[in-house]
Amino acid sequence: MGKYNIEDMAQKIETLKQTATELKRISGGIQAVDRNVDRILASIKMLEINISDLVGTI
Amino acid sequence: MKPDEQYWNPILETLPRQKLQQFHLKKFKQILAWAYENSPFYRRLYKEAGLEPGDIKTLDDVRKVPKTEKSMLREAQRREPYPYGTILSVPLEQVTEYRQTSGTTGQPVYHPETWQDWEWSAESWAYALYAYGYRDYDRVFLPFGYSVNIAFWAGHYAAEKIGCEVIPGGVLDTEARILKMQELKATALMATPTYILGMADVARKRLGIDPAKDLYIRKITAAGEPGACIPGTKKRMEEAWGAKVYDQVGATEIGHWGFECQAQAGLHVLEAFHLVEIEDIETGTTITEPGKKGSMVVTTFDRFAHPCIRFDSKDIIEWNPEEKCECGRTFRRLKGGVVGRADDITKVKGVLLAPTAIEEVVRSIPELGDEYEVAVIKKGDIDDITLKVELMPDAKPGVEAVEAKLVQQLRLKTGLRYNLEFHDYGTLPRYDVKSKRFKDLRRKE
Repeated sequence: MGKYNIEDMAQKIETLKQTATELKRISGGIQAVDRNVDRILASIKMLEINISDLVGTI
Repeated sequence: MKPDEQYWNPILETLPRQKLQQFHLKKFKQILAWAYENSPFYRRLYKEAGLEPGDIKTLDDVRKVPKTEKSMLREAQRREPYPYGTILSVPLEQVTEYRQTSGTTGQPVYHPETWQDWEWSAESWAYALYAYGYRDYDRVFLPFGYSVNIAFWAGHYAAEKIGCEVIPGGVLDTEARILKMQELKATALMATPTYILGMADVARKRLGIDPAKDLYIRKITAAGEPGACIPGTKKRMEEAWGAKVYDQVGATEIGHWGFECQAQAGLHVLEAFHLVEIEDIETGTTITEPGKKGSMVVTTFDRFAHPCIRFDSKDIIEWNPEEKCECGRTFRRLKGGVVGRADDITKVKGVLLAPTAIEEVVRSIPELGDEYEVAVIKKGDIDDITLKVELMPDAKPGVEAVEAKLVQQLRLKTGLRYNLEFHDYGTLPRYDVKSKRFKDLRRKE
């Protein structure tokens, strides 16, 4: 697993999540923002399942 | 192909066994805590059992957690919030998709999907399709009725996720679907085994098209019923289409949980997303070693709206003797896929009979057609079992020779004697989706 830097990838995924969540916080309730952020967060969750959740296991 | 290019996720799919088990424990604890905190159904179930999520400290502790089964889901769905009941673990307004089970074994179970859970479904299928060799240059045809049943919906979105071009063959009839596949030079297909064979038959008989020569399909995902795990049926499908046929298993309540790799040497459990246990049907003890069949108890990780924890699926499975697969995946394998269902396996004349064993015999005899029908009735106190088969029009040996072969193989594989009926080719019922070839009529008499 040495060639994959899981910790670095997990950090970037966390940054994506924070950015998306912050975007929703400042959207003022614009549905075109909030609903698209929800979809982005669903995709970010898949990144967490595939990468971030492995931190500490390997 | 570089070694890692055969995997959707090379890290998870080749994780050493011990680390995979650590991962399973972490994931199990997460979903258990989620269900306990968010689902009235699970919280009540666990409180009645005196169980707190913190009680689970090892994978062995998992067995302390009460099992669930379909009847419990149906009961929970009689309560609010309608229609999902007390298993629902997210606010109702977060549900974005409705699905339901096929109802093969009774009242359908309703299944809610949030956008995230639906993304999960596509993700889980992507592991399988990628293992079969689906890539962004494939044109994938889906000949199923896009409706309330989950069927191949997630396959559609997983193929998109991989980058394939997806052709939804929903409302077309069988002939139109075949012609569309030919017109667009589709390279991959997803369908039930029954329909895969049925389409090939329609292509040859009604359109004069030989799917193996005149179409371009080279990869087929077979799901929805046993078939691709039955050697005789798999061989027929692969020969009819000139394609590799891959077995895939799943259920609405569980999600997609197992797939074949290109080695076609057993069914890999999708252990990135599930914990699978096997229990002895009679004693309930856990089976950890190969050599004994049992009922599958499955937990799905990371699917949050309608958690599936220690669900007794009634699928009959058995661990594969060899742990290592030549594909390099460390996901454990099952021998022969799902070999039956606990509620299908029935005692006939005192012998345990799995309908898939009959199919294995019928489809291993080339002089017989794909279709068959089995009916068990009671004559007085004695079970009476009739098997109807079709003789192929061009069968070389006479009916007596085929009958002798059939009798011998049935006795060998099932230990039973049958009344055999030979019918003209094309006269037994054909099915488009899930077949109903086994009829136990004893209880009605």
